[in-house]
Amino acid sequence: MSTAIYQVPRNSLAWMLAAQVAVIAPHVGRLPIWVVGVCLACMVWRVMVFQGRWSFPGRLMKTLLVISGFAAVPLAYDQIYGVEPAVSLLMVAFALKLIEMHQKRDAYMVILLAYFVCITEFLFEQSIPYAIYMFACVIMVTTALVGLHQTQSHLKPIKAFKTAVMLLAQAVPLMLILFVLFPRISPLWTVPLPSDQAITGVSDKMTPGSLAALTESDELVFKATFEGQPPQFNDWYWRGLVLTEFDGSSWTQNESLLRKSVYRFRQAEPGWVEGIEYSGRTFQYDIIMEPSFQNWMFSLMVPEVPKDRDFVILHDFRVASIRKIRKRTRYQLTSHLDYTVQEELDDFWRYRYSRLPEKSNPRAAALAKEMYEQALTPAALSRDIQRMFYQQQFVYTLQPGRMDDTNSVDSFLFDSQRGFCEHYASAYVFMMRAAGVPARVVVGYQGGEYNPNGNYVAVRQFDAHAWAEIWLEGQGWVRVDPTMAVAPERIERGLEAAVEKENTFLANSPLSIFRYRQLLWLTDLRLQLDAVGHYWDTWVVGYTPEMQTGLLSRYLDDVSAKRLGILMLASFFTVLFVIALFILAKRTRAPLSSMDSDYLLFCRAMAKRGSPRQRGEGPLDYQARLIQELPALEAEIRFVTGSYIAVNYRGETEQGSVLKRAVRALWLRTLTARS
Amino acid sequence: MSASETSPDNRFWRSARFQSWLDRRVPPANTVTLHQKNIFILPTRHGFYFVVLILFMMLAGINYQNSLIFALAFLLVSLFLVSILHTFRNLSGLSLQGGHGTSVFAGEDAEFTVTLSRAGNRTFEALNLGWQADMMQGADLLEVASCRVKVYVSTQQRGRFNPGRLLVQTYYPVGLFRAWSWVDLDLHTVIYPQPILAGEIPSASSSTNEGEIQQRNGVDDFYGLRNYQHGDSIKQIAWKTYARTGDLHIKEFAAYVDRRVWLEWDSLPGLDHETRLSRLSWWVIQVSKSTDDYGLRLPGIEIEPAHGPAHRTRILITLAMFELPE
Repeated sequence: MSTAIYQVPRNSLAWMLAAQVAVIAPHVGRLPIWVVGVCLACMVWRVMVFQGRWSFPGRLMKTLLVISGFAAVPLAYDQIYGVEPAVSLLMVAFALKLIEMHQKRDAYMVILLAYFVCITEFLFEQSIPYAIYMFACVIMVTTALVGLHQTQSHLKPIKAFKTAVMLLAQAVPLMLILFVLFPRISPLWTVPLPSDQAITGVSDKMTPGSLAALTESDELVFKATFEGQPPQFNDWYWRGLVLTEFDGSSWTQNESLLRKSVYRFRQAEPGWVEGIEYSGRTFQYDIIMEPSFQNWMFSLMVPEVPKDRDFVILHDFRVASIRKIRKRTRYQLTSHLDYTVQEELDDFWRYRYSRLPEKSNPRAAALAKEMYEQALTPAALSRDIQRMFYQQQFVYTLQPGRMDDTNSVDSFLFDSQRGFCEHYASAYVFMMRAAGVPARVVVGYQGGEYNPNGNYVAVRQFDAHAWAEIWLEGQGWVRVDPTMAVAPERIERGLEAAVEKENTFLANSPLSIFRYRQLLWLTDLRLQLDAVGHYWDTWVVGYTPEMQTGLLSRYLDDVSAKRLGILMLASFFTVLFVIALFILAKRTRAPLSSMDSDYLLFCRAMAKRGSPRQRGEGPLDYQARLIQELPALEAEIRFVTGSYIAVNYRGETEQGSVLKRAVRALWLRTLTARS
Repeated sequence: MSASETSPDNRFWRSARFQSWLDRRVPPANTVTLHQKNIFILPTRHGFYFVVLILFMMLAGINYQNSLIFALAFLLVSLFLVSILHTFRNLSGLSLQGGHGTSVFAGEDAEFTVTLSRAGNRTFEALNLGWQADMMQGADLLEVASCRVKVYVSTQQRGRFNPGRLLVQTYYPVGLFRAWSWVDLDLHTVIYPQPILAGEIPSASSSTNEGEIQQRNGVDDFYGLRNYQHGDSIKQIAWKTYARTGDLHIKEFAAYVDRRVWLEWDSLPGLDHETRLSRLSWWVIQVSKSTDDYGLRLPGIEIEPAHGPAHRTRILITLAMFELPE
């Protein structure tokens, strides 16, 4: 083996560098800036080496680079175990390998690393645009690989590209078969997932203005697909969090309390679940939730316990995940929208749900007590509070102005009377509690956009909402939405309609496509693209072992790994065989001339009528025999044979079109006559 | 590529059993067309690494339950398998025809011409052929239907030389597989004895009376004119030419010595046969540079003096084949 420095073909090197830029590019936002710098520096260095201006780094330099590169990654992340540090390490190795490419095997190494870097992107993004982009990257990497093996590569940079595209085009059908039929198995061991990111979304602390801030975002929270008819729009209350603790201005949840009462699938039913009464329809739905890096999940009241033991039901009847939702997660729920839950509430819970800090919001507390004396029952008080919001012309707005930090309810009720849903929910629950009625704030999303193309509801950040639940003797927990009193259109038609007049919907996101919902064609297009994305998420990204079994059991009576394997191999090799025929077919025969193919079509027509041409039978001999066997067609036979001879042997090319027309007509007549 | 991949020097490939199997499967012929019966195909070392890469991807796909990672891994699996077909296709249908080989002295590289041709319009790219890993020749059949490739092979011994099976291989298009064949194109050439420095050729012995000897002293055989150079003798200036043309020319005279040289086996006593042949071979090189006639005497063989390329070749072949079975 020669130790001479191997010069990577120019064409291959160019593709290699382009591919490297392309595969690193989507990671740039996630990488420490110096890793990006190292990558760029290595590429520049490699180009300089190729042009002969610089030389490869020396041994000492290389050792220093490798050690510092690999040491810096854990320092930058404060940890080694994790996806991001691993990806950074891979990038550093990838970049450094470039300036260490002395031999052909090093070039291979760079190419294999490039393929591997392609898959790391899928740990973070799996949408269609990214999939297409990564496929383009694979084409580029493959082109670099082909470029390594062309002798005349420097002459034809496009040829390598064409070859790569052809190879991959032939590989795609095989890939599809493997994708559908390759037996999927469950994870062998747990792996680190992308680490937490600051994601906008409802949080476990509701302060005045926190939900209004969320409405700036049009990011997707989850998509829900109902089996059958979805419930009424104004029943789409997606519960996420239940907040019970109040400090004078903000609401939080009591986590330690929640951990005590958890209901998991296949677990004995705890006492607080018993005695639920359902009536009316049940709704089955499937939710694909975007990563939130939180534990809570979204459900319609009142959900049955999820069949997946990773998900639980908490005492306040919401669904939560044992682990934080770090990747797009799919779960199935069944909910009963007409229900009676927790008809009995013991003193402990009664106390927890009506507790308020001492001397907080005194004016509101006094007002609540006064109103309760008049109303007499909790239900009447609830109605009166809502009536108050409506009659005193409270304003529903995204710009409520500043509130008093310590007594936000007083400030809202008596000073500004302008608020967003969290103000109404907060004031309502406060007043109910002040009157001694158990009440709690529920935070989540209300509404969503139904996409008829994909039959799902897409819920986005601007659908964030807060409402209340009160406990009534004999009825259990009842949902009350105080916003309904001031802005019924928010519940009926969504936020955009509710703030139409003040024109604040997505005011700070002028480019958001959701601001242009009045443009029907645009909305239509968006919904269609969205639906495509949804199918992608469901059938491609979400193609899990369960999905595979589910899909295949529709067509096979027994989906065992063995049968799946046999089916996979059989179809795989069938397709491979077809591709092999295509590739290896000898393309030695010259293509038929137009007149020859016309004449052959004529022969086929005659064959269909029972008189095939014999081997080696000349046109005139055939004509003579045909006229005997098919006397009815004598004129046509004479005409076709005559013009074929004229074109073929006498060179009267102008007869060609006449021949074609005559043969076509005869062929059609033959076909129709037979049928 | 490692040597083990490019040349048939692996123990298995060299075993007598495999060679005799190969002789039956790919019999020697002047023209060989490659097809599924005589093409071998196996993954390369890089193909093996590629499989390892795919396995890693599959592991990542399984553990992350990530469909797109699966998809990419499956795409590479498919690429791997499709590349078998393409690499095979890049040899299948190729015809190789053995041409003539040049004769060289032992120790030099013999050159053989191999004609590659194709039937139909299939193209062949990045082909590699040769007998030795360090002397592989590249070739393409893209726009042209046939081409000639000169392939070299190093030689060691005098005599009739058959370079053995020619390795023709390709890694195209992705280097994950290597398709190859060993074809015996029935090529032969003669290797002359390796020349060894042998000093002066001994002057004519008893046999010098034969033939016509032209040995004249002096400078009286006019040979030709050349341009005057500073320092030339005035006596030799061609004055008549000067008078006619105005240019100074020198008359050149050649002195003829004995132009019949005998290269004799017997003039190298006390040496073993091969050394004798090597020295004779060296003399042939020397004497053939002059215009002298030269002949050869070996035990039982005598070649009359003559000169010219054909004569030289005849003498060298005689030396090469001396005491060897035909």
